[in-house]
Amino acid sequence: MAPVLALALPLQPRIRLAQGLWLLSWLLALVGALTLLCSGHLLVQLWHLGTFLAPSCPVAALPQVALAASAVALGTGLVGSGASRASLDAAHYPPWRGVLGPLLVAGTAGGGGLLVLALGLALALPGTLDTGLEEGLGTALANYKDTEVPGRCQAKRLLDELQLRHHCCGRHGYKDWFGIQWVSSRYLDPNDQDVVDRIQSNVEGLYLIDGVPFSCCNPHSPRPCLQSQLSDPHAHPLFDPRQPNLNLWAQGCHEVLLGHLQGLASTLGNMLAVTFLLQTLVLLGLRYLQTALEGLGGVIDGEGEAQGYLFPAGLKDMLKTAWLQGGVARRPAPEEAPPEDEPPKEGLPEA
Amino acid sequence: MALLKVRFDQKKRVKLAQGLWLMNWLSVLAGIIIFGLGLFLKIELKKRSDMMDNSESHFVPNSLIGMGVLSCVFNSLAGKICYDALDPAKYAKWKPWLKPYLAVCVLFNIVLFLVALCCFLLRGSLESTLAHGLKNGMKFYRDTDTPGRCFMKKTIDMLQIEFKCCGNNGFRDWFEIQWISNRYLDFSSKEVKDRIKSNVDGRYLVDGVPFSCCNPSSPRPCIQYQLTNNSAHYSYDHQTEELNLWVRGCRVALLSYYSNLMNSVGAVTLLVWLFEVTITVGLRYLHTALEGVANPEDPECESEGWLLEKSIPETWKAFLESVKKLGKGNQVEAEGVDAGQAPEAG
Repeated sequence: MAPVLALALPLQPRIRLAQGLWLLSWLLALVGALTLLCSGHLLVQLWHLGTFLAPSCPVAALPQVALAASAVALGTGLVGSGASRASLDAAHYPPWRGVLGPLLVAGTAGGGGLLVLALGLALALPGTLDTGLEEGLGTALANYKDTEVPGRCQAKRLLDELQLRHHCCGRHGYKDWFGIQWVSSRYLDPNDQDVVDRIQSNVEGLYLIDGVPFSCCNPHSPRPCLQSQLSDPHAHPLFDPRQPNLNLWAQGCHEVLLGHLQGLASTLGNMLAVTFLLQTLVLLGLRYLQTALEGLGGVIDGEGEAQGYLFPAGLKDMLKTAWLQGGVARRPAPEEAPPEDEPPKEGLPEA
Repeated sequence: MALLKVRFDQKKRVKLAQGLWLMNWLSVLAGIIIFGLGLFLKIELKKRSDMMDNSESHFVPNSLIGMGVLSCVFNSLAGKICYDALDPAKYAKWKPWLKPYLAVCVLFNIVLFLVALCCFLLRGSLESTLAHGLKNGMKFYRDTDTPGRCFMKKTIDMLQIEFKCCGNNGFRDWFEIQWISNRYLDFSSKEVKDRIKSNVDGRYLVDGVPFSCCNPSSPRPCIQYQLTNNSAHYSYDHQTEELNLWVRGCRVALLSYYSNLMNSVGAVTLLVWLFEVTITVGLRYLHTALEGVANPEDPECESEGWLLEKSIPETWKAFLESVKKLGKGNQVEAEGVDAGQAPEAG
């Protein structure tokens, strides 16, 4: 039964491994904390923009999983630093002997699994965001005029604040506002001929105008904002609607929000990748240290040659041992061997 | 009769020195915080110097920056002194400097207190600077073609959006100035010609406001023009309409923002001042306790520490006497010099 990936670890390399591991663990803890903050930030941003994302869109899954994964990474880092510090000191190591095994399993299974899931979600995010924003912004624009309807009365204020803060107008451009009624019927004069004409001129009876709300206005424009009669070249002096429009924000809110959220998600994805790398290194180092010290019987300063390894035997041998043990335990009724710790442990680090 | 006498044995002296060493290094951190706050205040004032005619006073942030640096220097020095105080050999070289150093510390504490007080008092001067600056800023709103002033429109629009305010004291300030540039007026229109003729200066005044005054919380789309004409808009009464535009004036908004900022900075500075006073008092006790060690060969002996050797009126009298002696000493020297020069001239 040859140990898998065995490494000879005499005293000096063992000490150096422990010291390097201590440094790496604190680095992992730092990166884990930063990832925690980053995912918290993304969660807050998504919560703020909740009205503009369709409720069916499960975008919040990514920051939540990333939050859990970075918490596990932080824990792994702290455990690693404690264990590597203790392995240099004979008095402090014994209490760690019992807990290190299960902790390694938990770290690999929990941390590794969560990190892989989070990375997968980070890659899948742009698609879900696109559809979610499309639907959400469309609903928000349609609800702009409903300031009297309970449940939708904040839509106007939220959309105005979005356009003011993110410097955008409409979904894909300012012309989106020409296609919907954004003036509430409550403020339309039924006796005004112009209003009646406009309402009768389209099938759905909507009051459509070639104007935009004030929040689309661009303060960088040299002239006071032109909001109404935007298609009519003669309505305002020196204004040609076919020229590039400095008057209003040129970008649509869909593009701006998508870019903003995707930027945050890609930063989070990069940090998760770095956390994954560091966590793998720390767990591997801890496993080697643990097995080397077990080989010496828990004596820290033992000068004897100790071997560190990943697994005590190859995959086939371990399964055979597990099967035999299970068979011995249930001799009267030969059944399936109960699952042991080894099989789940080998699946994830090899991945 | 010494002021606030305390007995010190060896252990207490050592603990005092160690505690003071720690406090001094914490105080260096506090000094860095004061420096950072001064820098932050300076940047905030510079950001909106357009609104204050570039004439705002930078006295408070500059003095905070200076105090922060001085605090770092003094406290690290005091930390070194406290560290050396435990070793009689090293302490001997600091001994002659300690009394003037303590005097400088007392002076520094007084100046720090004055600076903290100034933080609270700056509000008055800021108010007049803001009123003046905003009025001029609004006048230049339309000059987007004039080099040097072309950013005023963008600055005021962003200010009104960010601080949720309109005009100097209210939105009616916009009715009194021409904020639409002549370049975008159609001079062939009768309405424009009437408006320009209707006032002495030939300005195009409207009862309207720029878009940045609009309040997003209003249930109806923003009404910017013909604000005083009820019949121009359906179901509109300008006397009772409150949500359409921002009601606050930008002077009040900016003033409250800066007041809150200065009050917090002033509060933090006062806390740091209290900490510094505690350190100075502790250092004085350590100084007098170590001076009072009667037998320098026996470090274990007890000694007394005090704030002042005599009570306050006696100390004040002694101080005046020493000042008079200094003056008399100069007089005697001057007479001697004159007597020396006279025979030479003669």
